[in-house]
Amino acid sequence: MKYILMMNTMKAGHGVPGWPQKDLQAHIAYMISLNKELHESGELVSAEGLSFPDQAKLVRAGKDGVPVTDGVFPESKEFLAGYWIVDVDSPERAYAIAARASAAPGPGGAPLNMPIEVRPVMSAPPPEML
Amino acid sequence: MKYILLMTGTKAGVDTYRAWTKEDIGKHMARLKSLVKDLRESGEFVGDQGLTGPEEAKVVRGETKGMPITDGIFPESKEFLLGYWIVDVATPERAYAIAGLLSTLPGAGGMPTNMPIEVRELASHPLKWS
Repeated sequence: MKYILMMNTMKAGHGVPGWPQKDLQAHIAYMISLNKELHESGELVSAEGLSFPDQAKLVRAGKDGVPVTDGVFPESKEFLAGYWIVDVDSPERAYAIAARASAAPGPGGAPLNMPIEVRPVMSAPPPEML
Repeated sequence: MKYILLMTGTKAGVDTYRAWTKEDIGKHMARLKSLVKDLRESGEFVGDQGLTGPEEAKVVRGETKGMPITDGIFPESKEFLLGYWIVDVATPERAYAIAGLLSTLPGAGGMPTNMPIEVRELASHPLKWS
């Protein structure tokens, strides 16, 4: 069963968090260690980090299919900061991994306890859509 | 340059897609398959995923003992990730053009959905696992 674990924690205008260098390094070391562990257990399918929200554009097709881009987002919008796709035996295992990611250290080394959204990935579109 | 094209929607928005006729869904999927085929042939396609619906989503936080706390209650205004495409392109404009094509895919009655597609560059971050 494939699950996606999403960090939706960033708001518009945010860049690299203003944490001390030491805290940033501890955070990144924790994530590298988690990724390595999931890779070794064979559960990690992929993981990506996204650029910061100030780089985001919103695109819609205009007339003649020409893309219309806009970079204005409501203040309340949550931006995807990054995600993991894991292949696990049970939803509980996906939640346990999400909890590990949630507990990554933040400023002063305290666990961030950031919310991680967890959803099954569709292996293919439902048959009625093909 | 790798870009991620994110398709998001609220629960209410997802319900409108689900009300499409079988014929509308067929046309939409046929155009999408054709677009992905073009991107594979041009060497720009990296990956894509579709996610299950918002009703499957849980939000997880780590607690002090590392036990996950799951919750599935979201505000009505929350945007859920429905799926994404990752493309490897020469310029941001090309990523926007592909997002524009995705936005023109036919929806109800064969009319373009004009759904907004969020475009962000992937971070070449240091969290790789191997």
